[in-house]
Amino acid sequence: MTRSRFVAGLILGGLVLTSSGCSDTFNAGPLEYVSAVTLTQDVPGKTNLAGKQPLQDKVRAALAGLFGDSPQRIRVPEGSGLPGGGIYLASYKLEGDGANARRKRIYRPRADGTPDPSRPQAGGYAIYRRNCLHCHGVSGAGDGPTAPYLFPIPRDFRQGLFKFTSTPNGARPHRDDLRRTIKNGLHGTSMPAFHALLSADEIEQVIDYVIFLSMRGETELMLIEEAGTADENDPDALEEEVVKELADGVFNKWKTAQEQVMNPSIARTPATRESILRGRDLFLGRTKEKLECAGCHGMLAQGDGASFVSKEVFDSIVFGGNPSERAARLSALDEKTRTLWTQKLDVWGNPLRPANLNRGDYKGGRRPIDIYWRIAKGINGAQMPAHDSTINERQIWDLVNFVLALPYEPELLTEAGNEPQRAKLADTATAR
Amino acid sequence: MRNWSILFALAAIASVAAFLYAPFSADWWLPNPPDQTHHVISAFGREIDNLFLIILFITGAVFIGTQVVLVYSSYKFVDEMDEHGKPKRAATYSHGNNRLEVIWTIIPGAILVFLAVYQVGTWASIKFRSAAPRVAPLAEITARQFQWVIRYPGPDGRLNSPDDLVVVNDFHFVKNKQTLIYLKSSDVLHSFYLPHLRIKQDAVPGLTIPVWFDSDTAGSFEIACAELCGWGHYKMRGKVTIHETETDFQRWVSDQLTEQNKSQLTMTAGAEGR
Repeated sequence: MTRSRFVAGLILGGLVLTSSGCSDTFNAGPLEYVSAVTLTQDVPGKTNLAGKQPLQDKVRAALAGLFGDSPQRIRVPEGSGLPGGGIYLASYKLEGDGANARRKRIYRPRADGTPDPSRPQAGGYAIYRRNCLHCHGVSGAGDGPTAPYLFPIPRDFRQGLFKFTSTPNGARPHRDDLRRTIKNGLHGTSMPAFHALLSADEIEQVIDYVIFLSMRGETELMLIEEAGTADENDPDALEEEVVKELADGVFNKWKTAQEQVMNPSIARTPATRESILRGRDLFLGRTKEKLECAGCHGMLAQGDGASFVSKEVFDSIVFGGNPSERAARLSALDEKTRTLWTQKLDVWGNPLRPANLNRGDYKGGRRPIDIYWRIAKGINGAQMPAHDSTINERQIWDLVNFVLALPYEPELLTEAGNEPQRAKLADTATAR
Repeated sequence: MRNWSILFALAAIASVAAFLYAPFSADWWLPNPPDQTHHVISAFGREIDNLFLIILFITGAVFIGTQVVLVYSSYKFVDEMDEHGKPKRAATYSHGNNRLEVIWTIIPGAILVFLAVYQVGTWASIKFRSAAPRVAPLAEITARQFQWVIRYPGPDGRLNSPDDLVVVNDFHFVKNKQTLIYLKSSDVLHSFYLPHLRIKQDAVPGLTIPVWFDSDTAGSFEIACAELCGWGHYKMRGKVTIHETETDFQRWVSDQLTEQNKSQLTMTAGAEGR
């Protein structure tokens, strides 16, 4: 008797297991946005609301009012400029306020575009959750569960800054920049290429959601900044109008960036020997502009310039043990190296390394125009500065030609140092 | 407890039914073009599938035979009790049967030797370097965590020169043409897997491994990584596109090169999107 009961239990258990798992509609419980560190903690040198509970609550309320209080209850703020008013963000959008708030189903297509009621989650949020969240995190803070194991660590979207863009330094990216990054990945980093994994339409939805998270994060920082100037008990702090103005400021940055793509006014100079050599002279600072490329990228462009700590030190700090004990390894450095280290962090506080230009790996893309943008407008948030004010477009193209030729001709730099001497020898030879 | 034999019978029938159903379903059968369930697109694929089917038939026959014996004996010789709760039939004990054991060792052994010898030709034509087609490599594919970097020789026809075309996760070749690639890895072990072509080759750091294949059908199929290579293993999915003609392929290459050599935006390029 007990045996047959055991068998029945086994069969029942199997049925329960097979019917509960393996479903696309499975939902991992309530998800919460993480708040910016400066909202609750004292960060030296940054405006923060540590200990100011009333102001913290106001920031939280304002943020929830604009963007919804959780990733599963998205609200698309008016004026955000997202395509279709944000209808591709998620399957639900919150409409109305307080008790009158309604969850309106806004996006639920089948593969052929017809609505599919059996799939409660779709749109940018769902695609992000499946493909991006494990690195970039629920809030786009670059703090997903996989993030600690990666170098460079995933981008934190919440400052609105993205490294590889076509817009002026510090500006928001153009939509095409994000599309390129998602489609092709960032070579040399852990960002994979998604063009074989997602359809073109899905990529557009992910772009929408990334922009949404980025706008939300930046608005939060602006609100904290604004609240930091207010008195803790001021009932009028962060009034509705102020909040709206701040949010509009954030949205406008995205809108203006769409018009600011830097398009070279002249096409690339053909990659002739002369052009490549002119580029090399620019790189080595031998022209009157005295560029300091070699200071960071090194005399052989191996990413080991004197302006940064040596590769050995860098490797020992970043890769030389448990990532959570990095601070301890840093404090073991001598004073001078430690100062140099702290000067060479990106705006997210992560260690930087200049590119080794001999490898032919280009994070921001290998097209001449990509490398033009890296040189002309720099890399946002990193130490690579914009050069469009110091050198002209023709010189930038010379540099591009040099950079693209270098991986195949490392002797461009290894022999560069000897050249004046060799020229002198040749001179003496002719004099004789 | 005759019910047990019925349970065994049902399990065996369900398993056999699944195998009988599989050839009629594109989802259950081996990976082939969606509209041609039984058309294997590569020459190696046809050989591999033949080997697979031979093994499937042999194991299937043995499976059916053993299941019939199992069900029959557990039904026939079920333990029955008399009214006093004593077994009706006394158990018989035996100790081994040399002849039987020799037979059931020799037959599978012979089958294994047959398979080992029978497949040598296929293995050699797919893996032996001496069997590689005498053609210039179409591309060099480098696996890295977590993507396939595919490098085609540019207009100069040489690999690893400045005019190479470099694309990620997007492999193209021409149908009815022996295609040779060089496979590399820049970090850990990966495995280059073209399920529709039945090609699977490990990418080993430090080695350049030639891989060759063909296809008699144009279309778009999948590349997968078949060696667990890290947290993003599942993201190493790519697309293989087989072009109808060499002209189509060259057009694709030149389009990609135009994009790769782009130095200015045209007005239309900026307005991409929905």
